[in-house]
Amino acid sequence: MKTNFRYDNKAAYALLTPIVVLLTIFVVIPFFYAIKVSFYNWSFYQESTFVGFRNFYMVVTDRLFGEAVWVGLKFALMVVPAMLILSFLFANVVKNLGAKYSGFVKTSIYIPTIISGIIASVIFVFIYDYMGGLANYVIGWFGSEPKAWLADVATALPSIAAPAIWLGFGFTALIMLAGLHDIPESYYEAADLEGAGAFKKMWYITIPLMRNVILYLLVTGFIAQISQFELSLVMTNGGPLSETTTPNLYILNHFRNDVMVGNSIAASLLLFVVLGSISALIFRVLNSEKAVDG
Amino acid sequence: MRTQSLVQKSALTVIAGVVTLLALFPLLWVVIAGFKGQAEVLATPFRFFPKEWLVANYTDILGDAAFLKSMGVTFGGALLFAALSLIVNSMAAYVFARLEFRFKSIMWVYVIMTMFIPGMAIMLTSFIVVDKLGMLDTLAVLVLPGVASAGHMFFIRQFYLNIPMALEEAALIDGAGRIKIFTSVFVPMSFPVFVIVGIGSYLGYWNSFIWPTMTITNPNLYQIMQYLYNFRAERVTELGLLMAGSALAAIPTIVLFLIFQKYIISGIKISGLK
Amino acid sequence: MKENWGKSKPWSIMLSALIIMALAVTGCGGNNDKGSSASPSASVSPSESSTPSESGEPAESESNAPAEKVKLEFWAQKFEESTDAWFKKWTDEFNKTHENIEIKLTIVPGDAWAQKMKAAQAAGKAPDIKTISYGNIANGAKMGEILPLNDLIDATAFDDLYDNVKEFVTVGDKYYAYPKLVEPSAVLFYRKDMFKEAGLDPEKPPTTWAEVLEYGKKLTKKGVFGFSIAQNAADLGWSSWGLQYNAAGHLAITDDWSKADINNDGYKSVFNFYQQAYQSGIMPKQQLAGYTDIKPFGEGKLAMQVIGSWAIGQLRNSYKNILDNVGIAPMASIDGDQTKPTATLGGWTLAVDGKSEHAQEAASYISYLLAGDPNIMIDFFKGSQFSKFSARKSVDEAMKVDVDASKDTWRALVAEKVIPYAKAEPIYPWDISFALSTGIESAMRGTSVDKAIAKAEKDINDFITKSKLAGTNPKS
Repeated sequence: MKTNFRYDNKAAYALLTPIVVLLTIFVVIPFFYAIKVSFYNWSFYQESTFVGFRNFYMVVTDRLFGEAVWVGLKFALMVVPAMLILSFLFANVVKNLGAKYSGFVKTSIYIPTIISGIIASVIFVFIYDYMGGLANYVIGWFGSEPKAWLADVATALPSIAAPAIWLGFGFTALIMLAGLHDIPESYYEAADLEGAGAFKKMWYITIPLMRNVILYLLVTGFIAQISQFELSLVMTNGGPLSETTTPNLYILNHFRNDVMVGNSIAASLLLFVVLGSISALIFRVLNSEKAVDG
Repeated sequence: MRTQSLVQKSALTVIAGVVTLLALFPLLWVVIAGFKGQAEVLATPFRFFPKEWLVANYTDILGDAAFLKSMGVTFGGALLFAALSLIVNSMAAYVFARLEFRFKSIMWVYVIMTMFIPGMAIMLTSFIVVDKLGMLDTLAVLVLPGVASAGHMFFIRQFYLNIPMALEEAALIDGAGRIKIFTSVFVPMSFPVFVIVGIGSYLGYWNSFIWPTMTITNPNLYQIMQYLYNFRAERVTELGLLMAGSALAAIPTIVLFLIFQKYIISGIKISGLK
Repeated sequence: MKENWGKSKPWSIMLSALIIMALAVTGCGGNNDKGSSASPSASVSPSESSTPSESGEPAESESNAPAEKVKLEFWAQKFEESTDAWFKKWTDEFNKTHENIEIKLTIVPGDAWAQKMKAAQAAGKAPDIKTISYGNIANGAKMGEILPLNDLIDATAFDDLYDNVKEFVTVGDKYYAYPKLVEPSAVLFYRKDMFKEAGLDPEKPPTTWAEVLEYGKKLTKKGVFGFSIAQNAADLGWSSWGLQYNAAGHLAITDDWSKADINNDGYKSVFNFYQQAYQSGIMPKQQLAGYTDIKPFGEGKLAMQVIGSWAIGQLRNSYKNILDNVGIAPMASIDGDQTKPTATLGGWTLAVDGKSEHAQEAASYISYLLAGDPNIMIDFFKGSQFSKFSARKSVDEAMKVDVDASKDTWRALVAEKVIPYAKAEPIYPWDISFALSTGIESAMRGTSVDKAIAKAEKDINDFITKSKLAGTNPKS
């Protein structure tokens, strides 16, 4: 108990210095600088003019931006829970495999990450191809007409969510696995003696003890998925009818097409607010027993 | 320890096998697509194997000195990046997991906040900063800006939170300083976690494309993704070459994985220390 | 603990040093804004230095510094392999023949072009010379991003340009870029063998929109769709400009940029055409490839595809076995009048950066590469398999006597039947094109044409009001 109340200022600051300095130079300063220029019509060749909240006003009142944020949220809600549940189950499978085989499995499930997002998108474009794609081939077995997976408002976003799950699955599963291995085997043995079933053990032992890992995966998974744009850029170009235009694709399109960069910087700063508040919510809900700085 | 029935065991084996196959599929696809001509790579209905096996894509790329050079430069950079990232982020992770100090919550918020800043927001201003620091066209501009990562720090910290206090209390009683405890107790236990974070950092560096393209014009520092994206033109991607290049570019990473294979997750071995 | 204290001291010194340094950087950043207030004067200085040349002696600035080699940066957007090779070849050639100037060519992938360019501009490190598309010239000129070339490049070079193309590079009374090529955004590719099978005359491609729909129906059969044109907002945004001109005689907003101009019969016909094409089942429900890709046509899944002239190159490279069965025609017109525009002309030019310290040398490179010896350009068009077109009369003249070029009937057709009637790309913000094309897409997906137009009109007008666009057209 005593240790909890002892302050170790020197050691703490010494160890924190590198991360703080690096983040300050390469993230925080550019961030505040970006906030500053977002109040200007930032021009590279003429005098920049102060425009107050105008850039933000333009973004907030753009219906497409609101829609993009909504698309991003829907996308994250499709991908993150599915990915967490699947990888949690899979991690349990791998944990119970023989050592040799599990080594092979663990090394292999990383592979989608090595192949870049662009290539993954190209592969999935093939799968969803209208004439001759794998997806339509498979539903053809059941006598179904070909579907316009990527062009139908109802199926476009889920069709893009599938490769996102597939891309993130390996890494998530490995992290889950690491978390599982951290749980002392003795807990389960004790539960066995009490006659607890597999489900009970998972609910009362595994999941509570994995809370730290799940919190991490939820926050980072959420940020990663709501920021996704490569998949929709390559697979649908944001269509049909902006149904797959994620916030970052919206920002990228503006960045490329606008004469001034004010809009896209303002939009990405607003995205920061969205990401920050939702993550704070996740922290609060999942970390409620332990203070955030604990 | 717990007993598994044969049925259970073979079911697990099958599930794991199917997932592994799904994971390996793109790599196989990429390797084989590298043997196809331009029209055939894109052809639908999809054929897995080429009608005619062409080696030209592979020999073209292997014959290009720039390819091997950018592989080497990127590989070295990625290893350096991963090492620095582990050092910087694990130190901070330890502090936030274990130490009490003034302004702790302010510092925590300061660091964690950076996790939510979208790259797009700071792209131009970061460029101005690295330009002012004279870092353009150096290895430093590729490595340093991404080393500190709130996400990685957060990850390592979540594992440190699970390490029992008892371990370091013994060391504290022996009079060891906090930094000493970190290097002698925490670091040795972190190896499996370091492997995960290290791979994450390594891949992040390896796959980055926009930042190197913005900051590097010196051909001696060209990154592998810059090289590969050369096959992606405005209208028609030279997919055969892109696939062959990606397949070849995956080799060092796969070798690396094979080397670290046995360490890829066994978790922090708390049980081993008991 | 003492030891730790000792250890941490250098750290904290380093920390404060770094923070101070970092603050200095933002300080500089702050100054940078002030610095950019000085930049108008910077952008004045080149024009000042060009004033003497206006008074008649362009040689003066060259003779000023013969001793030191001028090094210039040139960024070219990544296109086909053949284009890259052409840039490299002739830049080397230029460097060899001009001992006072050295051009450093960097080819930048399109995926990163905007990021790299805007970052460089923000830091004041933009290249002296860059590729720029027609659509961006007017805004670039207005912002001072690119310099007028009138005093830097010989006037005869501009006289050599076709009149409609000359307009593309003109803002006010000045030329701001020199064209490299033009490409019509929409040409009709069709399969002669499939025409025959369907009982259609393979030498008579459809000339009206009604015929397109009718032929499309006849050509659609199992495994083959009769017709394909852009079908999502991002592609429609730019590929439909030609048809908008065709039916309405103008684009989506009034010339003074004060309001939308789409609630009329012309625009209704455009919306109707796309709607019918999509809903009648002659188009695939999901595009088989992006608008710029002719793969599905090459694979025999489409009987007619509307796509830009660049597809000629892709067809010739990748689908050699069907070339004999391919016909090319201007995209059909609403009423069959093929002298109305059916396409806009996209394409690329070179321009000199507004802050370049060696504008004269930069211009001399542009002039050498694009406005000089016609053979340099012919070399380029050959490399592109004649899928791109000249903006210069003299180059076309020279091509008439060139063996390969003169016998290329596709080239002749596009050059004679499409390009002369094609219009420039609009220069108003993309948001407007996108609002309109979103309207077209929603009409294709079942919204009534009137509703779709009303919504697009409202979106465009809202955008104009919000961004205070009225009266800001740099070209009027």
